[in-house]
Amino acid sequence: EFHFGPCHVEGVALLELWKAFGAMKDIVVTQDKIMSVRLLKQEVFQNVSDAESCYLAHELLKFYLHTVFKDYYHKVVEFKIMKSFSTLANNLFVIMSKLQPRQENETVSIRESAHRRFLLFWSAFKQLNTEAALTKAFGEVDILLTWMGKFYRH
Amino acid sequence: AAPGTEDSPALLQYVKFQSSNFENILTWESGPESPPDTTYSVEYKTYGESVWLAKKGCQGITRKSCNLTMETGNLTELYYAKVTAVRPGGQPFPKISERFSSLQHTTIKPPDVTCVPKVRSIQMIIHPTPTPILAGDGHRFTLEEIFQDLFYRLELRVNHTYQMHLGGQQREYEFLGLTPETEFLGTIMILVPTWSKESAPYVCRVKTLPDWT
Amino acid sequence: DPGAVVPAPQNLSVHSANMKHLLVWSPVILPGETVHYWVEYQGEYESLYMSHVWIPSSWCSPTPGPECDVTDDITATVPYRLRVRATSGPRASAWSALKPPFNRNSTLLLPPRMAVRKDGSHLVIELEDLGPQFEFFVTFWRKAPGAKEHAKVVRSVGFPVYLGAMEPGAVYCVKARALVRAIARRSAFSQAQCVEVQGEALPL
Repeated sequence: EFHFGPCHVEGVALLELWKAFGAMKDIVVTQDKIMSVRLLKQEVFQNVSDAESCYLAHELLKFYLHTVFKDYYHKVVEFKIMKSFSTLANNLFVIMSKLQPRQENETVSIRESAHRRFLLFWSAFKQLNTEAALTKAFGEVDILLTWMGKFYRH
Repeated sequence: AAPGTEDSPALLQYVKFQSSNFENILTWESGPESPPDTTYSVEYKTYGESVWLAKKGCQGITRKSCNLTMETGNLTELYYAKVTAVRPGGQPFPKISERFSSLQHTTIKPPDVTCVPKVRSIQMIIHPTPTPILAGDGHRFTLEEIFQDLFYRLELRVNHTYQMHLGGQQREYEFLGLTPETEFLGTIMILVPTWSKESAPYVCRVKTLPDWT
Repeated sequence: DPGAVVPAPQNLSVHSANMKHLLVWSPVILPGETVHYWVEYQGEYESLYMSHVWIPSSWCSPTPGPECDVTDDITATVPYRLRVRATSGPRASAWSALKPPFNRNSTLLLPPRMAVRKDGSHLVIELEDLGPQFEFFVTFWRKAPGAKEHAKVVRSVGFPVYLGAMEPGAVYCVKARALVRAIARRSAFSQAQCVEVQGEALPL
């Protein structure tokens, strides 16, 4: 299960996420021709505290599910990877739905710190044209899973 | 014809990383039409950077592999490598590898183990596995330091009918309650669940000592 | 009759046990015609974010019989909407949807089948292979007043595994239950099985 600081998520196996993305990765990443831009840069994840991780995970997953996955779906159909996409999307949806980051006053600074990290990613995303940004973001799910893996407990 | 386009002769194919215990070797194969005196030059780049860097020692070579372990050793980075094939008097033919992450792609070699037979038990001592990855203080990281959830699985096959299992993160184990002067087959594997990595087994065939008491 | 309407399949339901999920429905009878069925599914993500998207089932697009193993399609612990339609030649029925949607956390978890035996003084168990999502919580104890219960999580299945050493002349009992982390649930314990070790019982 995942332990993003105080937020615990059961019922999702990291192995299933990697297997689902692994089935799509080759075809998706080779579409990304812009090798000199990385959206999920090191600074997004560098020294994320446990307390921050719940907010950052929630915000990233929300963006990925609301925007990246949704708007990239025409490519998913084109590449005929709907089944693996569905497995990945529904399991990430389970994680996002179970992450209930606290909203009290004393967590304002932590939330803002997590949001600044998200904005690093989001601003890089906005600098590319939509198709290129969606392709790159979807291709960087392995970077997202690598970071999430640090909070996974067997 | 422009290099790497459809109609330029394919001097190069299957450019890829082979990684084992974080030793990262770039390999490739010559193309169907490349003459034997084709030479190859290797460059590499960190994903997100714009500059390609030439790999010293792999410029104008004729062999089809290049050790990029030190150049691709940062575990939080991803990399690309580019091989450019040149045949005398011909156009250079570049080909780029897939995006490489040693954390994702490296395979795990079997562990180094010492199996020690006793009268009614067999002890198994697993030795740490150093990697080429250097820590800040200059020491080489072991696999155990890189993968927090790494653990060992030990199996002892007892006269082909059943198995005894031990496992955990410590390095010393002992299978107890065995019959003296009997042969056993031990297999020891490294597992990293987070990355669903599993090494090939280290196998030792041992015989418990006779009971002279 | 080439112009007749193909009726939609009725009475959809899912029979699910030990994480194997079988969608079944009443067959569509068209005398003299060959009927095929097409099954599609949608996870919670698709139904919330792209409800027009339906994914063809892995094994039943099409299928001749009135059932479909959807185990490989249900790959997350969320509600899945399933639908079926019948075709005969070029003609197709309307879609029939399963109501309510199916969630794999409702699967029936049965006590695992196991074989317990002894090999000399070793207590050995073999558990049935129910697939990669299953682990087994095994407890074993010496049948004697005040005897302590030992517990072990066993993931190796399909071959005999050593549980512990036994003392001569004693009776040892074993029971097991299945654990499925993906749905955070476990089965009831199996019936206990006991074995007796030959030899003189040691003084307690």
